[in-house]
Amino acid sequence: MEDRKTDVLVIGAGPAGSMTAKWAAKHGANVLMIEKRQEIGSPVRCGEGMSKEWLHDVGIRPGRWINVEVEGARIFAPNEKVFEINEKHAGNEVGYVVERDGFDKQLAIDAANAGVEVKLKTAAVAILKEHGRVVGAKVKEFGQTYEVRAPITVGADGFESQVGRWAGIPTNIATRDMDTCLQYRMTNVDSDLRYCDFYLGKCAPGGYVWIFPKAEGLANVGIGVQVSQVANPADARTYLDRWIDKHPGYAKGKKIDMVGGGVSISPPLKQTVGDGIMLVGDAARMIDPLTGGGIANGCIAGKICGTVAAEAVAAGDVSKEFLQKYEKGWRARIEEKLYRNWLAKEKLVTLSDETFDKVIDALQDVRLEKLSVHNILKAVRDKHPDVTREFEAFL
Amino acid sequence: MPNKKSLHIESSGQLCVYCGACVGICPLNCIYLDETRITFDERVCTRCEICVKACPVGAIEIG
Repeated sequence: MEDRKTDVLVIGAGPAGSMTAKWAAKHGANVLMIEKRQEIGSPVRCGEGMSKEWLHDVGIRPGRWINVEVEGARIFAPNEKVFEINEKHAGNEVGYVVERDGFDKQLAIDAANAGVEVKLKTAAVAILKEHGRVVGAKVKEFGQTYEVRAPITVGADGFESQVGRWAGIPTNIATRDMDTCLQYRMTNVDSDLRYCDFYLGKCAPGGYVWIFPKAEGLANVGIGVQVSQVANPADARTYLDRWIDKHPGYAKGKKIDMVGGGVSISPPLKQTVGDGIMLVGDAARMIDPLTGGGIANGCIAGKICGTVAAEAVAAGDVSKEFLQKYEKGWRARIEEKLYRNWLAKEKLVTLSDETFDKVIDALQDVRLEKLSVHNILKAVRDKHPDVTREFEAFL
Repeated sequence: MPNKKSLHIESSGQLCVYCGACVGICPLNCIYLDETRITFDERVCTRCEICVKACPVGAIEIG
């Protein structure tokens, strides 16, 4: 096949890739987005819960990909006492349970309609470099290899990103900064359509069990376990099955789908751009280390990424220095929270079940006007001063 | 390197769910996911066993 040229090459057609592609095209760039799979959004690798208040900002309209609009979240202590957070207090952590494949397809459609060329069954197999700059990628489309030359290449290739590593941007993560995840979609379960549920403690070391309702009696039941706390192979599955067995409302359910995956729970990367190269979404480790949610951050950063990519092409300057505008832009929007939540995660993964019980217990009696780390800590200090010292660093 | 342990990734679909967790965590970037096939570079792999822990379904064995 013949080699070809474009202004912006986006590798990966997940939400971050499609958003980047769309916004680059809207700002006048010629954009080619490649996806190694034959179907965008499938197979799904996601718990499918996401916040919603950011959607309008980045130009995503609600659509048929929404399964359920939840009212809030319930956090269950190991002793099963529950703390309920309504949608207003949870801010951006709850909102919709979605059909992720439909969501991804809608974003790809939006990108295509903005002028982006999309190629399926097309994988990047290597990065092209000249004089230390990235100048495109070698791709394989339906088994045929050719080169795509582009002033800007965007790595939106997800958790298992290769592009960043090829380009020389360190994206390695430590085992304590990754959760290994497994999820079943289960029918005939007692999930509550009003809530996304989270179970903390030793039922999911370094992570949590989640229940995200998809429809009446249908829910995604999943688990994340911190890799550094895995003692035996397949612990994610072992812990999830154990949790289900202990909960009659779910033990009676039937599994109709299974999803695995890795989630980074790391601090923000030090660098996400180089000469001619930008990383976005899970590939840039933008997943919230506390919630494990990556869609909102990927889309927010994607809009900035695409906009700056088009500006760089128009300016004829795709240097690392010019691309700092993206680096600074996404950090201004989400970095502080990523870092803060990483610190909180580092603390939470060390807590005993007894401490979790006490924290949730303290929250029971408090009408939190505004759910903030400060208010939570204050409530804990008032009711269980003995555990406060565990949180001194946050006070 | 003499006497490397054997590493086996079961990617025929009996165990593997093709999630890419092992690919993302590999510190040497030597595991590859090609839709429904996972391979690793025998020469580069040091048998650090991190992928074994990262796999949610226990599809990777080191013996």
